[in-house]
Amino acid sequence: MHVVTRPTKLGKRIRFSRGAAGAAFVIVALLAAPWITHSYRFLSIAISAGIATITLYGLAILFGQTGLLSMAQAAFMGVGAYTATILARAIGLGFWSSIPFAMIASAMVAGVLGVFSLRVISAQYFIIVTFAFGALFSIIMINGGSFTGAATGLDVGPIGSVLGINLNKIRNFYYLTVFFVLASILVTYLISISPYGRTLRAIRENELLARSVAIVTDFHKIAVFMLSGLFAGLAGVLQAHFLQHISPALYETFPSVYLALMVMIGGPRMLYGPLAGAIIIYFLPEVLHLDPVDARIAYGAALVMVIMLLPSGLIGGFIDLYRRATARARQRYGEDPE
Amino acid sequence: MGIFIQQIVNSLSVGSVIILVGLGVTIIFGLTGIVNFAHGEFVMVGGMVTWVLVSSGANFFVALLAGGVAVGALGLLLERTLFRFTLKRPMNGFIVSLGLVVLLQHIVIRALNTNQKSILDPMGDVVWQVGSVRIVAMRLVVVVITAIVVAVTFFTIQRSRYGMALRASLADRETASLMGIPIRRYIAAVFAYGSFLAGLGGALLIALFPVTAFLGTTITVRAFAVALIGGLGNVTGCVVAGIILGLINGFSAGYGLPQWTDAYSFGLMILILLVRPQGLLSGTEGPSVG
Repeated sequence: MHVVTRPTKLGKRIRFSRGAAGAAFVIVALLAAPWITHSYRFLSIAISAGIATITLYGLAILFGQTGLLSMAQAAFMGVGAYTATILARAIGLGFWSSIPFAMIASAMVAGVLGVFSLRVISAQYFIIVTFAFGALFSIIMINGGSFTGAATGLDVGPIGSVLGINLNKIRNFYYLTVFFVLASILVTYLISISPYGRTLRAIRENELLARSVAIVTDFHKIAVFMLSGLFAGLAGVLQAHFLQHISPALYETFPSVYLALMVMIGGPRMLYGPLAGAIIIYFLPEVLHLDPVDARIAYGAALVMVIMLLPSGLIGGFIDLYRRATARARQRYGEDPE
Repeated sequence: MGIFIQQIVNSLSVGSVIILVGLGVTIIFGLTGIVNFAHGEFVMVGGMVTWVLVSSGANFFVALLAGGVAVGALGLLLERTLFRFTLKRPMNGFIVSLGLVVLLQHIVIRALNTNQKSILDPMGDVVWQVGSVRIVAMRLVVVVITAIVVAVTFFTIQRSRYGMALRASLADRETASLMGIPIRRYIAAVFAYGSFLAGLGGALLIALFPVTAFLGTTITVRAFAVALIGGLGNVTGCVVAGIILGLINGFSAGYGLPQWTDAYSFGLMILILLVRPQGLLSGTEGPSVG
């Protein structure tokens, strides 16, 4: 078990330099990826994975830190995507100016849903209500007539250029996605080390105890749910401008199931877990040349096995194994295990 | 008036299937605390087993029973190998069921395909004319089978000594255990029986409507809606909620708003959770089994 000890100055420095090395590795790898292969297919899968990753970080704060699993994240992406698209078509709002509107719209919807489902009701009810909302959202979009484009959806114009950089070139769009992915990782990191992160983890570990030390758990649960909506809204805008066409099928309940699957496989409590989960799920069928149906059978089986055998996700599981192995080795050579 | 009565008659058969499936959810969730989101997939598998058997020449009523038993066995297998280990952490059980949603759906697609499957009306398209109301024989059969299953379930839970033991283990696990009630076995049995009901519901569904491999999630949401509206673990509540949803279904279809059908049931569920979280007829204390 983990024993809480005050880290020494040296320990702190080692941990910081390890963290910095990890961050540098991730940044360099993401920036260098387009040089490894130029193929359009590779970059477009990478962009899709990146868009999912942004949503996943919202879900990771919600589930990994606070212990609430939402099945409405794809629907929140949909709220963002539809808000941006409708604003673009109605008043000609561009990519950048539609982002705040879309993020706020998603967060507001999450807030309303949270007020209904988070105040009185236990974690299981929350899952069921969010799942129902995901189904409801696509029904509303299908029945929205010409305003939401019904079942065929809406088209949105290309994204245009910023500071003379043409973002319609797929490699530039890739860098734009990487920028937002890195920003989401940074925000998640800052939240997890802040006092607010500790508050959220207190709610996760023991909600009654948290309440008894004057943490207003209802407020924080709704707030963090809205925060996860902000991430999803941003991802929705990116997706709308990347695909240049959105439809209700993108945002129904099944995509939410896949988002949950990615965050579980990567490990919701690890800083790079969601990124790893998205990369694994998006690239594995490409690397192994799997048929999509077989790939999904494999994902389903993988999810069941990860939960049964490595509940902290693949990455977390490997780190645990590594720690256990090194601890055993140290014991063998007569050193103290941590 | 004719249309009105006709809609009520039609609604009852749709409501019956919803009741059967919701009954499975309400006893599994309410009595064992397992949130199984693959329940709709169980229904789909039951329908597909029936379809395979009927298309290879079996009698529908044999195939109906086989569909139920096959899914019941699947449920027992999954409880013994997976859900049994997640009882202390219900969230893990839920995530496992998400994996099963993806797994079962795509195994069925791999084994069969994504096309709509339907069977010929097992009652040979017999229609009875009562006054101005037309009653399709198969729909009546569905209602009768549901009524029998609901009655058996109700009396088993409320009146038999096994049902008493089950309710005792829900009220106080440790004491029930001390009285010699094998709680783990009861949980497995409830899960298997709930899955059996899902298989049966799927088999009846395919006798009424065509079924695809993608049916599962809609059915899951409706089944949870019925279970939560009625009150968890409450058989009577489930029947009442199933009839209400069946009527809403029937009337919105009959009066020209079929595309909003699902929206009504989700909306009603959210409303009920808001004003009366314990359900219309209060259910068990919820999933307290740890």
